[in-house]
Amino acid sequence: MSLVRLHDLTLGYERRPAVHHLDGAFDEAQVTAVVGPNGSGKSTLLKGLAGAIAPLSGRVDRSGLKPNQIAYLPQDHGVDRDFPMTIGELVALGLWGRRGLFGAVTHQDRHRIDEAMSAVGLSGFEDRALRSVSGGQLQRALFARVLVQDARLILLDEPFTALDARTTDDLIALVKRWPGEGRTVVMVLHDLDMVRDLCADTLLLAREKVSWAPTEQALAPENLLTARRLSEAWSDGAGICNRDHAA
Amino acid sequence: MSAVHAGAEFALPMALAGGLALALGGAPLGVLLIARRMSLVGDALSHGILPGAALAYLIAGPDPVAMTVGALIAGFVVAGLSSLLARTQRLPEDAAFAVFYLSALAFGVLILGRNANAEVVFDLLFGAAKGLDATALLISAGAATATLFALALFIRGFLAESADPVFMRASGLPGGLLHLLLMLLVALNLVAGFRAFGALMTVGLMMIPAAASRFWARSYVGQAGAAVLISAVSSGAGLILAHRFEVEPGATMTLTAASLFALSALVGSNNGLLQNLPGRTHLEG
Repeated sequence: MSLVRLHDLTLGYERRPAVHHLDGAFDEAQVTAVVGPNGSGKSTLLKGLAGAIAPLSGRVDRSGLKPNQIAYLPQDHGVDRDFPMTIGELVALGLWGRRGLFGAVTHQDRHRIDEAMSAVGLSGFEDRALRSVSGGQLQRALFARVLVQDARLILLDEPFTALDARTTDDLIALVKRWPGEGRTVVMVLHDLDMVRDLCADTLLLAREKVSWAPTEQALAPENLLTARRLSEAWSDGAGICNRDHAA
Repeated sequence: MSAVHAGAEFALPMALAGGLALALGGAPLGVLLIARRMSLVGDALSHGILPGAALAYLIAGPDPVAMTVGALIAGFVVAGLSSLLARTQRLPEDAAFAVFYLSALAFGVLILGRNANAEVVFDLLFGAAKGLDATALLISAGAATATLFALALFIRGFLAESADPVFMRASGLPGGLLHLLLMLLVALNLVAGFRAFGALMTVGLMMIPAAASRFWARSYVGQAGAAVLISAVSSGAGLILAHRFEVEPGATMTLTAASLFALSALVGSNNGLLQNLPGRTHLEG
């Protein structure tokens, strides 16, 4: 059963495509890796899935999902480290989807936050200021917020970059539990060994789809070579894409 | 010239109450603005309200209610258009504010240029003690009530939108609307103070105590509390000084706030200068 379907999806900025005419579906309760060279549209695809940018053409069919059932952890998290806020308050933002602007935070919610903090190894950090923790600790806190969001679709953009081995292992253990809880995960990764270990399916992207298949098949040497050859198509003199008219 | 001749008399108790109301409404907003790195937006907005006040002055004369309504409309237009432009066109917010407040200021110059004397302009910018009347007290009390009410209702949203706007957008939450509401509240509080303390000096009462509060507390609530206290003391002491020495209250309040800022930066319990002197002992963990 697919949870999210892409129909001839083109995403980009200022009319220039970063992801070009992509079709396919993300299966429910499955971890899918998005792999590709720098500039191949991986982060753009995640933004599009999260609804943070609108398609240039085509569409993302998320009809089975409410906005509050999607958790998105971008590569450049927008958290302002200087903001007068504690780690506990940052994690509690994950309650937004269910409690909204006015809903009271229940005893159960508090328990949920405590559990999430402990799952990412941050128990006792609740009252620490954002500016007083390290980059890795902040990333743990953002994972805790994802846990609190209790989302059905979880989008992670290079979540383990710049983390130490222990933190990475801890967070990977969390990700591995998610399919069993019925959650669908789409994750941008560079480490192919990690992709093979974690992800059942892989979308190999180089602006266009190179392969979208079970991981071993998608990461076949000839596919990786093709992805590497597809260079950037950004050009000052780029014409209008004809496929848009055909669609 | 009423502003420069100074010594305009005002009823101290009423003025003190009005100053307290401005501190209650403005200072918590100042803390939010600083946290969002928008410290100068208050300044921009305070210029933006001038054409509205000036136009009202031309139409209705020095009628306090008309001038307040005019200023409020101008402030809302500048705040609303700037926020809208920044959100829809990927323009930095301060750039959007620059476009609109300067345009508004230019309108103000056109309107006032031929029709008013320097005294009116001076009063609009820097305030006049004669503006400290019952109407001013009512307006500032109203603004403070509305602001505190809105803060109580929406504080969770204001904090989330300030700390992590990307998360707000991805979660489908109304971050843009909350941002607009915050800007409108800032405009409302500036308008509430501008007749008595001047459009520019009212910003001082909002921003300087907020900046000082960073030296006393880490959390938003702590900083907002400290800012209200500093702002209230500044307005109280400033008004008493102005009354005693017959000078303009906007200036004495702002200078009192600046003195308290210097004191906070020096001895503040949260990273004040004295805490971080070279050679001081460090903590164990």
